[in-house]
Amino acid sequence: MAVRALPITSFCFLFLGAAYLAGSLELPRGSAAQPGAGLYPLLIGIFLVALSLALLIRSLRKNETEPEKGEPFPKGKDRQRVMALGVALFLFALFLKPLGYGLCSAVLMGVILRLLGLASWGRIVLISILTALLSYYLFASLLGVPLPGGIFFS
Amino acid sequence: MDSLQGLAYGFAVAFTGPNLVACFLGVLVGTVVGVLPGIGPIGAMALLIPSTFALGPTTALIMLAGIYYGSMYGGSTTSILVNVPGEAASVVTAIDGYQMARKGRAGAALAVSAMGSFVAGSLGIVALMFFAPTLAEVALKFGPPEYFSLTLVGLIFLSRLGGGTALKSFLMVGLGLILGTVGMEPISGLPRFTLGQLQLSQGIELVPVAMGLYGIGEVLIIAERITGIPQLVKVKFRELFPTMTEWKRAFPPMLRGGGVGFLIGLIPGPAAILSTFAAYALEKKISKHPEEFGQGAIEGVAGPESANNSATAGAMVPLLALGVPFAPATAMLLGALIIHGVQPGPLLITEQPEIFWGVIASMYIGNFVLLILNLPMVGVFASILRLPQYLLMGLILLLCLVGTYSVNNSFLDLYILIGMGGVGYILRKLKFDMAPLILALVLGPMLEKTLRQSLFMTRGDVWMIINRPIAAVLLSAGLAAIVLPPLISLMKRYFKSQP
Repeated sequence: MAVRALPITSFCFLFLGAAYLAGSLELPRGSAAQPGAGLYPLLIGIFLVALSLALLIRSLRKNETEPEKGEPFPKGKDRQRVMALGVALFLFALFLKPLGYGLCSAVLMGVILRLLGLASWGRIVLISILTALLSYYLFASLLGVPLPGGIFFS
Repeated sequence: MDSLQGLAYGFAVAFTGPNLVACFLGVLVGTVVGVLPGIGPIGAMALLIPSTFALGPTTALIMLAGIYYGSMYGGSTTSILVNVPGEAASVVTAIDGYQMARKGRAGAALAVSAMGSFVAGSLGIVALMFFAPTLAEVALKFGPPEYFSLTLVGLIFLSRLGGGTALKSFLMVGLGLILGTVGMEPISGLPRFTLGQLQLSQGIELVPVAMGLYGIGEVLIIAERITGIPQLVKVKFRELFPTMTEWKRAFPPMLRGGGVGFLIGLIPGPAAILSTFAAYALEKKISKHPEEFGQGAIEGVAGPESANNSATAGAMVPLLALGVPFAPATAMLLGALIIHGVQPGPLLITEQPEIFWGVIASMYIGNFVLLILNLPMVGVFASILRLPQYLLMGLILLLCLVGTYSVNNSFLDLYILIGMGGVGYILRKLKFDMAPLILALVLGPMLEKTLRQSLFMTRGDVWMIINRPIAAVLLSAGLAAIVLPPLISLMKRYFKSQP
């Protein structure tokens, strides 16, 4: 898997660069003496496309040098754990507004604790609720961050 | 204002209540993140930028700078005690430091690295104090072409000197530059690359990007493996005193490391990390017992640990004198200054002396506090490692989320944070260096502005830019940094193939 990851990544870079370049072409370029909003994006778009092409070609060659290869991505349960963590973070952002900080942070904390190896459910529930309460108090009350209250703290 | 007057004024600024508290908090957080593997000074600075909004710019910078140099102290602790470098800048320390610990000299290693950090850190601040105003005076003559060249060369140097291959680093620069162009274009107010999102017209903030790459990305990597709690070498207070011979052997490397570190700090690049490798190599080279290196040579601890501290002082020079950061950590400081509405540049020292001298004076105070925090209380910080991983990682993630949200109360920033966390995780695994992206994101707008101003100035004549002596020297240095290394390796290969 790790062998294929680099070409895929460089392809993503290439795609991004090409899309960016296309976008920059629509901006007014002006002239060299009167550079417009599109000149600099055009230059860095070309820069990114050229570099990602070079990386793509290099990564497709078989004789990749050792330090370039990178570490292998985790497999099986380890991979599931990393992905689950990512999904949990995304869901936190998604539900923060409708459900509020208290519920979301408690659930997120519980998920993290469970994923990273805390086995006892009792402790998970206790720590999550404590973290949610304390952090809400710290951020919303002491530091004045307007966290969405949602269904618990409104 | 001459240096002594300035310093006296600085101490008057730094010795006010809020600034003292900020300094203490900064170095405390710095030590803690230095001890903790996984979250480093850049992530911590990003985390705390939002909480500085209520403070003045001087207080904010005092605190954030404290995190930066404080982390250099903390990083050595875990390198020595558990062979786990808390920071990239303490990797070298683990080589001989951990060997010393295994031989029962952990206390001496800790004491020498804290002392070395203090000595070299203080020397570095003195150098910073004299160097920065002089450089700022020179920089007053700089026009847009000089700033353009300086910014460009800074990005090139960082990409060449940092970890990973040059190609990957340049790609990260490109990515950072692209992110930097999102939002309202500064001259005509035209929205660029906002994908129709109104919120994006304000641009992509530094905080979610840095926290995503350095905070969430790191945590995701740590989450790959569930590890136990590391075994700590116990250190008794009595053992903290190095013997007379150890002192004698450690003192010259402290001074040499301090010198090397400061000079490397001035050059664009991940100064603190590079300086440790340079100082280690230097000590090994001039040592009468090079065979002891790797077996617990005290010079191998004293040199690098001193170097990384004075390197942080050196790295502050271009930031405070020119307003151009050359290292990712000082880029965070610049970001904080801009958020606080301070215009960085050569006029900063004369127009806002309270920031410059206040921060310098606070660095003296901070280094002193750090010496106390890291010597008698070293055990307290090391015991942070006993906190279970799940708790620590959970708290870090929660802090990243709330910290990001608090900057603009924006849900979009949260998605950027999480997206950048994923990007950071994947790119880190593929051995991309994150630092060029951060620096490019900060320097990108500056690069575009100075480029366009230069072109306006010369009416589009590129030769007139290159004809200016300072710009020419800078640009040739940048060109050399790109062309020479591949050329040299090509020549090496050629001569190797000759019989």
